[in-house]
Amino acid sequence: MDPTISVSKGCFVYKNGATRAGKKAASKRKRPAAESSSLLGKEVVQQPFYEEYRKAWNQINDHIADLQHRSYARTLEQLVDFVVGQAERDTPDEVLPTAALLTGINQPDHLSQFTALTQRLHAQRAAMVCVLQSRDCATLKAAVETLVFGLVEDNAEVEQMEDEDEDEDGAERDRKRLRRSQCTMKQLKSWYTNNFDSEQKRRQLVVILPDFECFNASVLQDLILILSAHCGSLPFVLVLGVATAMTAVHGTLPYHVSSKIRLRVFQTQAAPTGLNEVLDKVLLSPKYAFHLSGKTFKFLTHIFLYYDFSIHGFIQGFKYCLMEHFFGGNAFALCTDYSKALGRIKQLTHEDMETIRRLPSFRPYVEQINDCKRIIAVLTDDDYLKKKLPQLLRDCLLHFLLFRCSLEFLTELVGDLPRCPLGKLRRELYVNCLNRAIISTPEYKECLQMLSFLSKDEFVAKVNRALERTEQFLVEEIAPLELGEACTAVLRPKLEAIRLAVDEVVKATMATITTTSPNETRQATDHLTPVASRQELKDQLLQRSKEDKMRHQLNTPTTQFGRALQKTLQLIETQIVQDHLRALQDAPPIHELFVFSDIATVRRNIIGAPRAALHTALNNPHFYMQCKCCELQDQSLLVGTLPDLSVVYKLHLECGRMINLFDWLQAFRSVVSDSDHEEVAQEQIDPQIQARFTRAVAELQFLGYIKMSKRKTDHATRLTW
Amino acid sequence: MEAICSSLEPLFPCREAAIETLGELIGDSSETYPSAIYLFGHSGTGKTALTRAFLKECGKRQNVRTAHLNAIECYTTKIMLEILLDSLAPDQGDALKVDNMLDFVEQLRRQAATRVEDQGFLIAVDNAERLRDMDANVLPVLLRLQELTNLNLCVILLSQLPFEKFYNKTGLSEIVCLHLAQYNKAETQRILGSDFQQVRNQLLEQFAQDKKRLEICQEAVTEDFYNNYLNLFLSVFYKACRDVPELQLTARKCLSTYLEPVLDGTVDATDISRLWRHIAGPLRSALTQIYMRIEKPAEEVEDFTAIEDQSVRKLAQSLELPYYAKFLLIAAFLASHNAAKQDKRLFVKHHGKQRKRMQTVNARAKTTEKMSTTLGPKSFSIDRLLAIFYAILEEKVGLTCNLLSQISTLVHLNLLSFVSGEQNIMEGSARLQCTIGLEFVLQIGKVVGFNVRQYLCDFM
Repeated sequence: MDPTISVSKGCFVYKNGATRAGKKAASKRKRPAAESSSLLGKEVVQQPFYEEYRKAWNQINDHIADLQHRSYARTLEQLVDFVVGQAERDTPDEVLPTAALLTGINQPDHLSQFTALTQRLHAQRAAMVCVLQSRDCATLKAAVETLVFGLVEDNAEVEQMEDEDEDEDGAERDRKRLRRSQCTMKQLKSWYTNNFDSEQKRRQLVVILPDFECFNASVLQDLILILSAHCGSLPFVLVLGVATAMTAVHGTLPYHVSSKIRLRVFQTQAAPTGLNEVLDKVLLSPKYAFHLSGKTFKFLTHIFLYYDFSIHGFIQGFKYCLMEHFFGGNAFALCTDYSKALGRIKQLTHEDMETIRRLPSFRPYVEQINDCKRIIAVLTDDDYLKKKLPQLLRDCLLHFLLFRCSLEFLTELVGDLPRCPLGKLRRELYVNCLNRAIISTPEYKECLQMLSFLSKDEFVAKVNRALERTEQFLVEEIAPLELGEACTAVLRPKLEAIRLAVDEVVKATMATITTTSPNETRQATDHLTPVASRQELKDQLLQRSKEDKMRHQLNTPTTQFGRALQKTLQLIETQIVQDHLRALQDAPPIHELFVFSDIATVRRNIIGAPRAALHTALNNPHFYMQCKCCELQDQSLLVGTLPDLSVVYKLHLECGRMINLFDWLQAFRSVVSDSDHEEVAQEQIDPQIQARFTRAVAELQFLGYIKMSKRKTDHATRLTW
Repeated sequence: MEAICSSLEPLFPCREAAIETLGELIGDSSETYPSAIYLFGHSGTGKTALTRAFLKECGKRQNVRTAHLNAIECYTTKIMLEILLDSLAPDQGDALKVDNMLDFVEQLRRQAATRVEDQGFLIAVDNAERLRDMDANVLPVLLRLQELTNLNLCVILLSQLPFEKFYNKTGLSEIVCLHLAQYNKAETQRILGSDFQQVRNQLLEQFAQDKKRLEICQEAVTEDFYNNYLNLFLSVFYKACRDVPELQLTARKCLSTYLEPVLDGTVDATDISRLWRHIAGPLRSALTQIYMRIEKPAEEVEDFTAIEDQSVRKLAQSLELPYYAKFLLIAAFLASHNAAKQDKRLFVKHHGKQRKRMQTVNARAKTTEKMSTTLGPKSFSIDRLLAIFYAILEEKVGLTCNLLSQISTLVHLNLLSFVSGEQNIMEGSARLQCTIGLEFVLQIGKVVGFNVRQYLCDFM
């Protein structure tokens, strides 16, 4: 590479197969060779793992879209009824009917909500819709022109759907005649009078402002005054998308504007509520074979809750995890339904089998085999391993189903305890159960203690509710699945055993009452002993208190209710929690085919860190450019073959707050030029080197690392420390 | 003229003097109109409604062409001229094209010459103060349009400002000024009471299905009953609001609450003191909603109290912000209201000792005028915002695109605003300002468990 070429000169494409510095040459994951173009080539699309990936993503995406559509349906119905209802109500004064939709910040479907509203109104043929974006309405003139043009064009589009020749000609005529400069309210009024003046064809004119806060306040006020002035002759309805709260509306519109509108507030559901719905119904659904590990799951929800409340961002992050998982190789095509996976096993090649053998959970599986011949066969014979794979796959799928059912049970059991030690929501329990063995955690012991403190009625009701919930989950969600019968066969006897234990808890009350009557009899007998003197009375009382203490200690483990309660909790712990809610380390062999846990890759790709990326690019250009001349043994080294900007950047890191440009230039020259010309160069600086230095400094200034100092001449100020 | 005035007076009670004056000025198209009339008054006093009704009556009873336009809509002179010509000479159809004032005058004169049956022209311009922002010749030409066109033409300007605000270098010609004063309490009650029949009919329609309530309503809702209600209503609301449309809206809302015990049979219609005790609470709570204009359908009345509570506390809790965005907002408030010199002392753990000097002690003496929470926010740079953000946040957070994009989100939501350098964020010279108040940020800090007062110089 020519050392004088800077990184800002253009793009670099290298295909020499060089690996990244610091990365091992043989990567554990075997990936298909990436094409230079951004689109995937044919050989990738036809791979089995890509088919499975596409199928899984399409199912999940449709499910999420359906969920979101259903959650918005109620609000949209109300909004459509509001718009249609304005036609029946005639207002004598100039009051503009207005709907304010509280959409929340960073809602991913702001525009899609309004698009759905537009489609509903078109389907009912009740209104013509124009969506005004704040970027199109910098001035009042632009706002009115966009509004009128949008309404007229909207009508033209609707007319074209009808395929009526006469209407098409009318639309054509209207469109030819219309220019932007002619879009005024007078034009809109005459156009509406010509087309919709009869009573049957009357339609509302809906104006939607999706991002209310981004509008210029004065433009918005004037626009509302104009629309309300025309309410007598044109049936306008205004729809506002408000991101924060109603005070934004009252703060932006002064009284002489707000007195012209009649406001109706509609509320959408909160963003965390929407996310919880997506998580419960899609990511934690037993229908899909793909799962996220606890850390990955927590990472994605962390971005949502702490950074941006963006459901769309969350969904894209999940899609990235899905993509990264399936692109690990053809072996991951087994992450699908059981019967389809059996079909995929036949297509696996030797390399795919080696991928399976390299999974971390495969090693304990091999070590537990007793027969040496079978160990050798598993490690070397592909056909033998293919015969073993169906059983391993079945164990894995069954494990995840049982995990999910037990999670349902535990969520109901501990979700509403005081202070929620393990978490209130199912997703929190999911993360806790997957990350480590939950039995050994102090939060779990705390939950058990709280359950022990419950009264009999509360305990019995809670456990029964958990049992009913799990039974319902088995019937509704698990039974339709392929391995549903196997899962039900394993879990139903355990639920039955717990139910029997609960019945014993109910019966234990009678026994407790029975044990109290002998104590009363004994006390009555003791009371009858005569007392001869004061000292004798003291001795008797002291002895009686000692006997009471001993009896109390003996009674604690012998209470039937207590014993029945402990037995039930023990049964829940052994049968449900210990067997099925296992941590990921204790999962069955080859579970890596179904669980994605490579969080480092996701973090590096999803979380954009611009400063870190810039620093890496300038400090170690080989990381990105993969060329021979830039290779560094140590990242702190300075080599003359580095790009000029990189050399200047590294030199400026060694300086203090103020950098003398001449000293900087001298250091730059000593790095870049050859040493045998040292004597001659001391006299004067090569103009070429000076030009390279000047350009590198200008680029560094553009990037924001330095700026020229105003106090000292020939000095630059560092902006970052 | 007498016919016009007598037909308008029932519609506009307490405006008889104004109607009579307008009738004398422009009530007879056979007489010469004045050149211009200026009608001004506060909002809600009936300027537009009265003028619109008057022009409608003139157009109906006499051969008068009328034009009524809104100056807000006329963001270019051409639009205004086209609207005027379209209203005054409607036969041209789609061929209408006016480019400047001279063209307008010429076309108007030509059109009027071909229609000798039109005896007069009346032009009303609403929100006339916007004419001051248009071309320099618009206002003088409108005021002299009668001379220029040689027609019996009058221009009526409606505005909220007095005519002295229409200063012009070359001076403006004389104009007839007519002031519509604000209504006093007796006039307000008379206006609100004038729709008694309409309200009574609405109530009878509402209870048409319920026979028992219908009978009680017919018997109880009398004119005296309604006037008593309005008297009580105005005794509460007139101190806070003088706007007649607003009062009318709220009076109709609260009437159902006032009528409820009478319909239930618990209170007699003539027992005013008990009715007052029943309505006093709802009236006072409605006083806080007087300007909101939020419409509630009947089935959502249960949520009435919850959703319309506009206190800052509820707003801070209901505003959904992610965790780090809340801390960014707190950091922005601290950066706006603390001096930059105090940052080291506030946010660094070992900031060294500080010697006491008389100059320092005197400078730190607090006076109300100097408190920055009273003076208002100052600007800060993005670097300082991020430095304070990392100082007040206990956990370690990387500087990622997700975090930086929250700054633009807060700007979009008007919680922060750019003071300068909006285009130079890359260079680092952009300066921001926090627009929220102290109470708001205290509530947000309480939600995330951060004590904001502890870090404000004014409260140390």
